[in-house]
Amino acid sequence: MTTTMTNLAARAAGASKIYGSGDTEVRALDDVTVAFERGRFSAIMGPSGSGKSTLMHCLAGLDDLTSGSVYIGDTELGSLSENDLTLLRRTSVGFVFQAFNLIPTLTARENMVLPMTLAGTKPDEAWVDQIVTTVNLADRMDHRPSELSGGQQQRVAVARALASQPDIIFADEPTGNLDSRSGAEILNFMRNAVDDLGQTIVMVTHDPVAAAYSDRVVVLADGKIVDEILEPTADTVFDKLKALGD
Amino acid sequence: MLRHTLRSITSNKARFLLTTLVVVLGVTFVVASFALADSLRDTFGQLSADVNEGIDVQIQAIDEFDVAGQTGNNLPVPASVLDDVRQLDGVNNAAGGIFFFSTFPIDGQGRSPGGQDLSTAVNFSGVQSLDKLVVLAGEAPVGPDQFALSPAAFEEFDFEIGNRYAIESTATGRYEMELVGEIRFGLEDDASLGGILVTFDNETAQLVSGYEDSYQLIGVEGEPGVDPEQLVADIQAILPDGIEAITGQQAEEDFSESFEVFIGPFQTVLLVFAFIVLFVSTFIINNTFNIILGQRVRELGMLRALGATGRQVRGSVVGEALIVGIAATALGIGLGLLGALGLKAILEAFVGDFPSAGVPLRLRTIIWAVGLGVGFTVLASLLPAWKASRIPPIAALREEISIGSRSSRARTIFGVVLAIVGIAAAVGGLTGSGGVQATLSLLGFGAAVIFLAVAILAPLFAGPVVSFLAAPLPKLFGTPGAIARENARRSPRRTAATAIALTIGLALVTLVTVVAASLKQSVNDTLESAVAGDFVIFADGGNGIPPALADELRTLDELDAVVRERFETVRFNGEITDLEGSTMELIEEVVRIDVVEGSTAAGDPARRVAISTEYAEEAQLGVGDFVPIEFAEGGMADLEVVAIYADDTWYGDRFLDIAVLDEFGSNRADGDFLLSLAEGVTVEVARPAIEAALGDSPLAGLRTREEAIGEFQGFIDIILTMATIFLGFALLIAIIGIVNTLTLSVIERTREIGLLRAVGMTRRQSRKMIRWEAVAIALFGAVLGIILGMIFGFAIVEAVPDDFIGTLVVPWVRIVFFLVAAVLLGMVAAFLPARRASKMNVLEAIAHE
Repeated sequence: MTTTMTNLAARAAGASKIYGSGDTEVRALDDVTVAFERGRFSAIMGPSGSGKSTLMHCLAGLDDLTSGSVYIGDTELGSLSENDLTLLRRTSVGFVFQAFNLIPTLTARENMVLPMTLAGTKPDEAWVDQIVTTVNLADRMDHRPSELSGGQQQRVAVARALASQPDIIFADEPTGNLDSRSGAEILNFMRNAVDDLGQTIVMVTHDPVAAAYSDRVVVLADGKIVDEILEPTADTVFDKLKALGD
Repeated sequence: MLRHTLRSITSNKARFLLTTLVVVLGVTFVVASFALADSLRDTFGQLSADVNEGIDVQIQAIDEFDVAGQTGNNLPVPASVLDDVRQLDGVNNAAGGIFFFSTFPIDGQGRSPGGQDLSTAVNFSGVQSLDKLVVLAGEAPVGPDQFALSPAAFEEFDFEIGNRYAIESTATGRYEMELVGEIRFGLEDDASLGGILVTFDNETAQLVSGYEDSYQLIGVEGEPGVDPEQLVADIQAILPDGIEAITGQQAEEDFSESFEVFIGPFQTVLLVFAFIVLFVSTFIINNTFNIILGQRVRELGMLRALGATGRQVRGSVVGEALIVGIAATALGIGLGLLGALGLKAILEAFVGDFPSAGVPLRLRTIIWAVGLGVGFTVLASLLPAWKASRIPPIAALREEISIGSRSSRARTIFGVVLAIVGIAAAVGGLTGSGGVQATLSLLGFGAAVIFLAVAILAPLFAGPVVSFLAAPLPKLFGTPGAIARENARRSPRRTAATAIALTIGLALVTLVTVVAASLKQSVNDTLESAVAGDFVIFADGGNGIPPALADELRTLDELDAVVRERFETVRFNGEITDLEGSTMELIEEVVRIDVVEGSTAAGDPARRVAISTEYAEEAQLGVGDFVPIEFAEGGMADLEVVAIYADDTWYGDRFLDIAVLDEFGSNRADGDFLLSLAEGVTVEVARPAIEAALGDSPLAGLRTREEAIGEFQGFIDIILTMATIFLGFALLIAIIGIVNTLTLSVIERTREIGLLRAVGMTRRQSRKMIRWEAVAIALFGAVLGIILGMIFGFAIVEAVPDDFIGTLVVPWVRIVFFLVAAVLLGMVAAFLPARRASKMNVLEAIAHE
């Protein structure tokens, strides 16, 4: 049991998130228990309002639960102060948002190492260089976000998430704003980060094609986990979702 | 559209509160200035009405030298005129009047109303309807050994009817008399003559005040039904030359108006500060509107897309400004009245109670308040409104669009042109030959235009300058510091517009500081180098020192020389001017003077004058020449030039012997004494001896040379401090401006701050980030302001004649203090915006549109 515990990058136990009360009560998460293993690329899927984003936000310490508990590694987030949560995000969690991932006044490189400079720690230069090479952005690193294309900006965002070697990376619709070619680039890159660099990624998406890049898809509907697909393909995911819609 | 305007205001209460606040402050100042000045006018108007009540015609001497109405000489009217007028048909009664300021009774404990307290000698004429003196207790004084006091003296000091007390007159020295009664001014209980009245009979009042066999004026009461104008004409017919009759009404107005000499400038100074505050506010309002509209571009585009015309959008923006202006003005009027009450209380604490109650709100005050308050606000909104009206409907759809602004090239040209106009006006003011009023008006206009030019040009260099000033931030405060620096320079126009308020405030503070420091140094240099005497005696009673005290001092062995000094307005060599008289034969003992020809001790003391080499050349005069002099009372003489001295001395271009003034002059009291010690006597030894000789006279204040210099400097410091406090309001507004901009910036950057927090910026770090951005902006404004202020200050010191301010002093310590203060102000300004940033919900912030 202990070994499996440490093998988990993040997990939720009996997690519920309720907005409002009485007639207007909305159960965004309804007693969800799920775990994400290290070194794997997981996807969370579901229709709009299924609670997939809420689950991710709670797992990442950006939002708190109404009941239940979430863990990053062995750390239970509910017991942490606001400041401790911030420090945890800084060191143990990486983020890629759908849009607006970069601080416009900082260069790509400064954005990439931002969590570390905020912590006042020195980035591992060799590791940073390796990532920069992998995302193929070496010649763009001194540019400001406004001088980068949307795809390039997302690549910098992923690079930032990787740069601090966090325990887990959460990606919220990372390809939602990109054309299919740029999207494929980002997804390939995340796939490689897991396979070659041993990173752990949890991605929220509603796109079956994107989900097909992952090792495992957790499907949510109405705040509950309704299905799980291992080794997904775009077709299997599409079929499952279609079945949900029916 | 009106509904849209109103909704826009109510949905952004905080921002409008801040914008309103800056206007409120300005209007408060305007209203307080007028209300306080009006309150003073009412006080003196009432006083004037009380004094002149029942007087149909007033007879007074004509002072043709009193060009500015400021000599206050009150030339004597011969007592014989009174007898003649009494005989005239249509005259019911007449009385001579003496109001001689600075006559001080000394109470049982040796105390006396000193300093600025009014203590006035008046004559009990026996004609109550004209002098309005009422005996409350004891009896009216009769003869040279009796006097009476007003109730205030009994209340505040230790006096008892029946005892004998000393009385000190600035004109004629010390008396000892019996206090015989309590006499009040005012037939009604509530008459408004302040201070203490010392009442004598006619002859004694003439003696004490130095009006030998004469009065300051004569009040006439006509027979019932006689037309005052006719009476004036009848009386004028029998008056000797140099004496005139005016109606009582005219006398009341003249008297009232004589106080304008200090009420007017007082009001002007306050209004100037009010204008500065409003001027600074305009920049803040303008900046706020610009930022807000920038944030609402999409919304306004949507309005356009839905069919609103550009004109309607413009109207909506100006409408917002109008509502803010009106609300702020209303609030400002209320606060202004409160402020005036407060200032009045402060004034009363210093100079005694004003009889008039309350502070009046005149229509004129309201018109100014509304005109300036609403006017400035609407003015500040015009440009943003015009820009807003040019927002195209497509803006509703575009991701990013900025509101239009003139090209930076046009801006630069406009700014440079303004700068040239401003500098030209300022230089014109400084070098022009116009009066003080014209000089100051041109300077003020020039400064305002230069500030405007700086505001327009500042965005051009704000980026690099902020980068430079904020360079240490990344090193000192890590990533939050680095981001703060980037944020401060990312929008140079906004940074410049925010900082400009601080720039103006600090420029003025620096200007005043540089001029004051230079003035202080110049006074010091002048006194140090010009005065050789060991002691000076100033007229602490306010209205001069009795010349008789000099005779007492001359009996002291400890003293070598006692030099009397006094000013008189005369016509010297055909020109009406203030001339100083002094004890010329002793002058070299107490003043450093370089006599190049002749001797100040030569010739007849009562007929001699000394002139500078420059004046000698200008007037073509040499030693032995005679110069005509005329006095207000008609005396004439030819003075012999006995000495010519090098320029740059204590006395300026010329001075005469005080013996001349003793013979012909109207002033009866001396201005000051300069003393030098006898050989081998120290200050410590001499002091008690001099103090003993002066007795307990409340009129003469003894100081060593160093103490006197310190006192002058202290006085300049007080003025400097007061100016700084008033200008502090401009700085307060500058802070509000920074708060405003930062708050709006924080709202604008909500997503950015959310992202930073998500990837690991702590709340503390986010506060630090905002704080140091504020400091960077404040520092930019401060540095710019201090540089401008120093340039202005240097220009003024250069332009002012050297015998007034000759030395330029840069008060570095204070300037460093201003920089530190600017940093602190920035931190204070950042408090709320920083809190807002740190309290943001990360998730909501990231999702923010």
